[in-house]
Amino acid sequence: MHFDWWAFAFQGINVLVLMWLLSRFLFRPVARIIADRQEATSQALAEAEKAKQAAVVAEAAAKTEQDKTASARLEVLEAARKEAEQQKKDILDAAHKTAADIRRAARDDAAHHAETERKARAARASELAVAITRRLLANLPDDARVSGYAARLRAALEALDSEQRQALNADADHLRLVTPRPLDAAELAEAMAAIRATLDTTGAVPVDPDAALIAGLELRGRHGVIHNSLSHDLERIAEALVRDDRI
Amino acid sequence: MNGSPLASETAFALGPVPVAQMVVVTWAIMAVLCAAAFLLTRRLRVDAGPAQTVLELLVTTLDGQIRAAIQHDPAPYRVLVGTLFILILSANWASLVPGVEPPTAHLETDAALASVVFAATIYYGIRANGVLGYLKTFAEPSWVMIPLNLVEQITRTFSLMVRLFGNVMSGVFVIGIVLSLAGLLVPIPLMALDLLTGAVQAYIFAVLSTVFIAAAVGEGGAPPGKTQDTGKGS
Repeated sequence: MHFDWWAFAFQGINVLVLMWLLSRFLFRPVARIIADRQEATSQALAEAEKAKQAAVVAEAAAKTEQDKTASARLEVLEAARKEAEQQKKDILDAAHKTAADIRRAARDDAAHHAETERKARAARASELAVAITRRLLANLPDDARVSGYAARLRAALEALDSEQRQALNADADHLRLVTPRPLDAAELAEAMAAIRATLDTTGAVPVDPDAALIAGLELRGRHGVIHNSLSHDLERIAEALVRDDRI
Repeated sequence: MNGSPLASETAFALGPVPVAQMVVVTWAIMAVLCAAAFLLTRRLRVDAGPAQTVLELLVTTLDGQIRAAIQHDPAPYRVLVGTLFILILSANWASLVPGVEPPTAHLETDAALASVVFAATIYYGIRANGVLGYLKTFAEPSWVMIPLNLVEQITRTFSLMVRLFGNVMSGVFVIGIVLSLAGLLVPIPLMALDLLTGAVQAYIFAVLSTVFIAAAVGEGGAPPGKTQDTGKGS
């Protein structure tokens, strides 16, 4: 068996040369790109971990903020509820007060209205009563229309104070005696006697018949009237009835 | 194959230096491998394509095998073990090309490969443990073992050479005999078997080389200054 030492040497060199060539063109480039990928992967993982940590922190912050928001929401709701309750209470109180005022006003108005109605009815009843009385008294006998009123006239004149009497005396020329009908001589003399007994007049006082008196003798001047008639009495009665709230 | 299969045929001569045919075939294989490596690694990207993925799979598998055997960073040993595997595999499968005889079917090629492994074992052993440390490994577990360890260094290298040579040469031999006796298509199954044998032998040679280096490196670890070599140097 022949061993080719030249071939052995060539092959040994070939192996070493191939090692260098493959190291340069195969193993190192491929190992480098693998290392680059591993580095990129590591960086990506580190960035992902960092992002994860940031996300965890952000999540915690968001949770805290959410809790704060929820708490604030509850506080706002509670405040709003209390305010609403207060407003409701105020509104109800105001409504009750308004209703009470309305009821009171309505009651007052109704009472006033009833009072007005009642007064109107009373006035009407008084007028009716006076009218009825006046109608009834219109049928009085003629002597009853004057009889007794001369004494009442004298009493009324005597009841005057000095100033009133003095005013009548000063106006004696303009005094006139109003009667429900023309007087006969006796009745006129009785009336004149009552006048002259209390006033400083000596002349005759003109007589002025007025059926509206119904009955009585009234002395009328420029400055006043001495009421002494049934008509005046009825008017006073009617006024008193209306004023005193009695029919 | 008219002559002895053990004889090396001279392709040409460079003056007084004869250049054997197996050397020429080896050059051709080297050229193809380098061209392929250059073309495939010309545009490497982080986003790898199919071809780049195959290359990366080769390198990562290689690193995994080395790391499993040596228990250290595989970068310092990657070039040696990877080159041995690729060269032996390519040389074994060169028999598929008609008229080409695998360089590993000749003892000179296998001897050269085994010699490189032998030298690398000593180199890595001294680099990891120092000269004295490496020499002390021969006295383990006891100084009585020194002769046996010294003989083992020679015999295991010799067995590495003979194993590869015997397997590849026998395959070529059998195919040649069957081809001469049976006809054109009959050796095809045997050629397929020869492909499997060639791949297995390449793997065995590379793994045994790694194991020998791992035994030399021992507990000393990777060579200093090379532990983090990721191939980024020039």
